[in-house]
Amino acid sequence: MNRSLSDRLYDALIYKDRWHYITNGLEYTIIITICALIIGLILGSMSAIVKTAYQNNKRNPGLAILNFIVSIYLTVIRGTPTVVQLMIMYFIIWQSGTSLEVAIAAFGINSGAYLAEVLRSGIQSVDRGQMEAGRSLGLSYPQTMWKIILPQAFKNVAPAIFNEFITLLKETSVAGYVGIQELTKGGDIIRSITYDAVPPLLIVALIYLVIVIGLTQILRVIERRLAQSDLR
Amino acid sequence: MISVKGLHKTFHNARGSVEVLKGIDAEIADGEKVVIIGPSGSGKSTFLRCMNLLETPTLGHIIFDGQDITKKGTDIDKVRMQMGMVFQQFDLFPHMTVEENITLAPVMLKKESKEEARAHAYDLLKMVGLEDKAGSYPKQLSGGQQQRVAIVRALAMNPKMMLFDEPTSALDPEMVGEVLNVMERLADEGMTMAVVTHEMGFAKEVANRVLFVDGGQILEESTPDEFFSHPRNPRAQDFLSKILNT
Repeated sequence: MNRSLSDRLYDALIYKDRWHYITNGLEYTIIITICALIIGLILGSMSAIVKTAYQNNKRNPGLAILNFIVSIYLTVIRGTPTVVQLMIMYFIIWQSGTSLEVAIAAFGINSGAYLAEVLRSGIQSVDRGQMEAGRSLGLSYPQTMWKIILPQAFKNVAPAIFNEFITLLKETSVAGYVGIQELTKGGDIIRSITYDAVPPLLIVALIYLVIVIGLTQILRVIERRLAQSDLR
Repeated sequence: MISVKGLHKTFHNARGSVEVLKGIDAEIADGEKVVIIGPSGSGKSTFLRCMNLLETPTLGHIIFDGQDITKKGTDIDKVRMQMGMVFQQFDLFPHMTVEENITLAPVMLKKESKEEARAHAYDLLKMVGLEDKAGSYPKQLSGGQQQRVAIVRALAMNPKMMLFDEPTSALDPEMVGEVLNVMERLADEGMTMAVVTHEMGFAKEVANRVLFVDGGQILEESTPDEFFSHPRNPRAQDFLSKILNT
């Protein structure tokens, strides 16, 4: 193993166009992350709304049932490993789904459970008077929620949502378990071809790191934008 | 316009229940301005908040514009569109500009097109002297300006009646006047108003009738002249002597 670093990099990336494993893998990683985040935000918002609505009106039987379902969802998802959920989805629940569909669904459902708590605390951080002001104008509960409460809730918990985004990005590295050649799997394939673990795995790690640093920078910009209405 | 019959309200909490309203009967006619006063904890705000069902009455009926709104199946959103409300803490929507605050409900509830709502908002802002603040965010405004915008926001729905819940209590003293002026103007234009306030000057100048509430009941109901010069009820006398001496 006295080969020069450039030779090893050449073997890992250039020879036989092996860099395709990395770029194709990155594409899958990004697709899964973004689609799962969107699903997660939708499921998380719905769960958070159910939980807050139930807390404010415990005597409504419909809400009680919904709240029960949401509680089970959160408990099961947060109480089991993501990889296990992914495999259960692939091998048991949705056998007819493609690897990509299954991965998006599994990661989406998973992050929805974590975002639910984040968004619930966001909704509760909005002053009670906001709901009353909206309702007093004749807006319905869903209208007030959508136009008045949720925008403020999202803003209040934007950093936490972004953290979930970053976590999700890294968690997709286990999608190889259901046969998706995402970034990590791509690097691993190169390793198994070249018998040299160092270049591909370090490159994979570096790419995750760069994306996360980039996302963190974007978060700063978003936070500054959102703070616009706070300026005096 | 609105009549309240046998209104009771009990709040339940972990330590038990508190009966805040113990049978209130009141009537407010078209164009009438009624001021509700009373010591803190007397139930006057709860009474006001029951009128547009922000609080659900435990017992009793509220008939607004000929419709019993306490009846099951009432479309409360439709009723509230005709009953504006102004809150102690203004409660403007902080993530929206002044103009968006005002036009949101009329546009969303399809009362006006975007352009109509914008023109209407401008007219109303002009009435309260804030036409240059349409693009500002609430936090960039003073308390008095915010409250004037909140009044405009309610007026943008063209309500038949306005409810004011201690509209000047959260304001710095020098800003109370500008808000009261707007309310007086509204009164002059014939708006039906129910106002919970500690501003006795406003009650004397503007009200047709004063309701004195204490212990969840209306203890005295009279014209402002009579109420302030010859209060009959001992608790009203006590209350007035306390606030008029400070």
